Amino acid sequence: MRRYIFKRLLMLIPVVIGVTFLVYFIISLSPGDVAAMIIGDGATEESVKELRTEMGLDDPIIVQYGRYMRGLVIGDMGKSYATGKSVASEIAARFPNTFKLTVLSIAISIIISIPIGVISATKQYSIFDNFGMVLALMGISMPSFWLGLILIIIFSLRLGWFPSGGAEGIKSIILPAITLGVASTASITRTTRSSMLEVVRQDYIRTAKAKGVSNRKVITKHALKNALIPAITVIGLEFGVLLGGAILTETVFSWPGIGRLMVDSIQRKDLPMVLGCLITFSVCFSIANLIIDILYAYIDPRIKANYQ
Amino acid sequence: MKKILCVLMVLVLILGIFVGCSPKEESAGSQDNVSENSEPEGANTSEEKQTIKKDEIVVALDTDIVSLDPQGHNDTTSETVSFLLFNRLFRLNTDFEAVPDLVEEWSQPSNTEWLFKIKEGVKFHDGTEMTSEDVKFSIERSKESPNVKHVLAEVEKVEIVDKYTVKVTTKVPFAPFLFTLAHAGVSIMPKAYVESGDDWTNPIGSGQYKFVEWVSGDKVVLERFDDYFDKEEMGKAKKMVFKIIPEGTSRTIALETGEVDVIATLETIDSDKVKENPDLTLYEKPSTTIAYAGMNVDNPPFDNPLVRKAMNYAIDKDATLIVSLNGAGSIAESVTSPALLGYKAGPYTYDPEKAKELLKEAGYGDGLNIEIWASGDERKRSAEVIQANLSEIGVTAEIKMYEWGAYLEATNSGKQPMFVLGWTSNPDPDATLTPQFSKGSIGGQNRTRYVNEKVEKLLEDGRVELDLEKRKAIYNELHETVMEDAPWVPLYIKNKVVGANSQLKGVELSPQGLWDLHKLHY
Repeated sequence: MRRYIFKRLLMLIPVVIGVTFLVYFIISLSPGDVAAMIIGDGATEESVKELRTEMGLDDPIIVQYGRYMRGLVIGDMGKSYATGKSVASEIAARFPNTFKLTVLSIAISIIISIPIGVISATKQYSIFDNFGMVLALMGISMPSFWLGLILIIIFSLRLGWFPSGGAEGIKSIILPAITLGVASTASITRTTRSSMLEVVRQDYIRTAKAKGVSNRKVITKHALKNALIPAITVIGLEFGVLLGGAILTETVFSWPGIGRLMVDSIQRKDLPMVLGCLITFSVCFSIANLIIDILYAYIDPRIKANYQ
Repeated sequence: MKKILCVLMVLVLILGIFVGCSPKEESAGSQDNVSENSEPEGANTSEEKQTIKKDEIVVALDTDIVSLDPQGHNDTTSETVSFLLFNRLFRLNTDFEAVPDLVEEWSQPSNTEWLFKIKEGVKFHDGTEMTSEDVKFSIERSKESPNVKHVLAEVEKVEIVDKYTVKVTTKVPFAPFLFTLAHAGVSIMPKAYVESGDDWTNPIGSGQYKFVEWVSGDKVVLERFDDYFDKEEMGKAKKMVFKIIPEGTSRTIALETGEVDVIATLETIDSDKVKENPDLTLYEKPSTTIAYAGMNVDNPPFDNPLVRKAMNYAIDKDATLIVSLNGAGSIAESVTSPALLGYKAGPYTYDPEKAKELLKEAGYGDGLNIEIWASGDERKRSAEVIQANLSEIGVTAEIKMYEWGAYLEATNSGKQPMFVLGWTSNPDPDATLTPQFSKGSIGGQNRTRYVNEKVEKLLEDGRVELDLEKRKAIYNELHETVMEDAPWVPLYIKNKVVGANSQLKGVELSPQGLWDLHKLHY
């Protein structure tokens, strides 16, 4: 098991190299002159040219990339083109916010979605099932910025219960966490329901029922564990998506997270910052996947045997 | 089973409709309700307004600041904070005139020499006194910074005369000099601090407010500096918080709930909402941001001045203003805003018949096909109005949209036809007219590739003429000449729109937006 984890962590290296390589070239190919953007209005042609040379932007892209990677190897993610601040410290300041938000919204969606999914499956086609599925459909279909604004209008403008934005105190995280949680709740519910439906039709469940095990015990002890594997996969994927895709929610709630940092940086062509964010995302995503894979092993001994 | 499902779906739909509608319907009727529920500082009933007593002003900004180093940025958001932390030799007032800030008196021994004596007893936030050493250091440092070195490009050298006096020599006689000294990039900073290598994590200036913290992407917090040198211009509120709220609707809601006291950049679409709310006040002032349709004078059909003039008659500027900006501005009649020195309106009015005649004269009586390039939502809407206007005079226009970075490059490629763009002027006309209409700026800001020898001469004269009246006459003629050649169709001048709590005092606007923030208080 330990060897497996070690091997998976080693795999991060090619992932990071691949990500940086692709992004570096894509951003470098996109139009717009970084130097001109940094200087802003009123700059002369000469000063733009001078700055470009000073920043090493006149070198071939492959040389620039090499220089960046050399820094990365010794843990230096460089300085932001736009603000001159160290990329690592900027990400360190923003990342905890994104992480808090992601963890809370995933927690919210797990607490809601697993019970609904299980009950929907065990009481298939009941009113509860239909209602749950319609809710799930709504959850998936609602765009997050719209839901966010509606929540703000109701809970901060009308009722005054929560602040409309910012990241101060526990109160401010509730609305964005719900907004983010709703979409993932929906997909986790649907996955739980369908895998549960599949599992309850299997022979061993029938056997357990025939042995006289109570319905409740059959579901919680025998069925749920097996049905959880697809659900956990979805939770892991959602976790990764939320880490990187909370941009709209972060914007609506003025949440100082890493998603907004990345979008702002892309618009400014701030390459070191974009790369820093993306490396953080891909490492997080990989680690989330790894944790999911380890969880499989604990839920299903057959998978554990495969790892050894 | 299916029936139940059907009923459920219908119910959900109806519910959805109600959820979607209710905020709009209620917003007019439930005003009192809102006030009762909101935070204590915003609480009031319809009969009696409770006065707000607060010593902390929260200002909503739409983007984060770039840097705390006044020479590390060149954007208006960062300036808003910079202006409170630092002083400059001169500052701009709300009418965009350069007035002395740190300078006690100044004189000009010759055309290229300026003597500045700063006030005695100006304290930095760390308690040290500002001297000519700091002034020399700051000006010289600004010439090294990539962001602002263009501001003082004309300065040749700075010499210390005595403890409080410096002599600045410019390369040529340079009329806009005092304006350039009001730029944030020429903020006077303590030499000792900058050389300490703190890297601007705890900036020290001499302004009305001192730095407390900057939480990246979230807020900037400042605190009043009680040792400020000018007792009449002291900061009024004890604390000043800049909250970064990127989404326009969220900004307006934060103002409504009382979480912020003033919005520096209000979305024009929310103006009515603020106007109708008795607890809020809307402030508007014409800016120096002009929107225009530029034409590449190198390529047909726009190489023909008659065609360019026809465009000036054919486009309904009022319509572009209403469609693009919801009417929050005024129509532009020349290439700069009326706030600038030497402004003169052009000869054109909306007259499609005249436009048709001009086109016929130019040899395009049977119609004409052109492209209009644009980037972003506002410009796209302008382009659509222009397209409709042109179809009335027999010109078929096709709109082509670009991403911003690509647009800036494309409109300098030489292949650009008609393109819709904007420009924000600094207070001195030279800083607009030279980049926009001089030969040397082709490939830079002169995207119409317009060249006129007479204009070159006038630009040169305007830069060196130190007499204000003569300078005005020069720029009058410049405006006239450019409008006659018509490389632009000026469209409209945007209003700066600020929303604030009605009880907030000291809200002032300059053409650049919210101004003199140290006066804000309850």
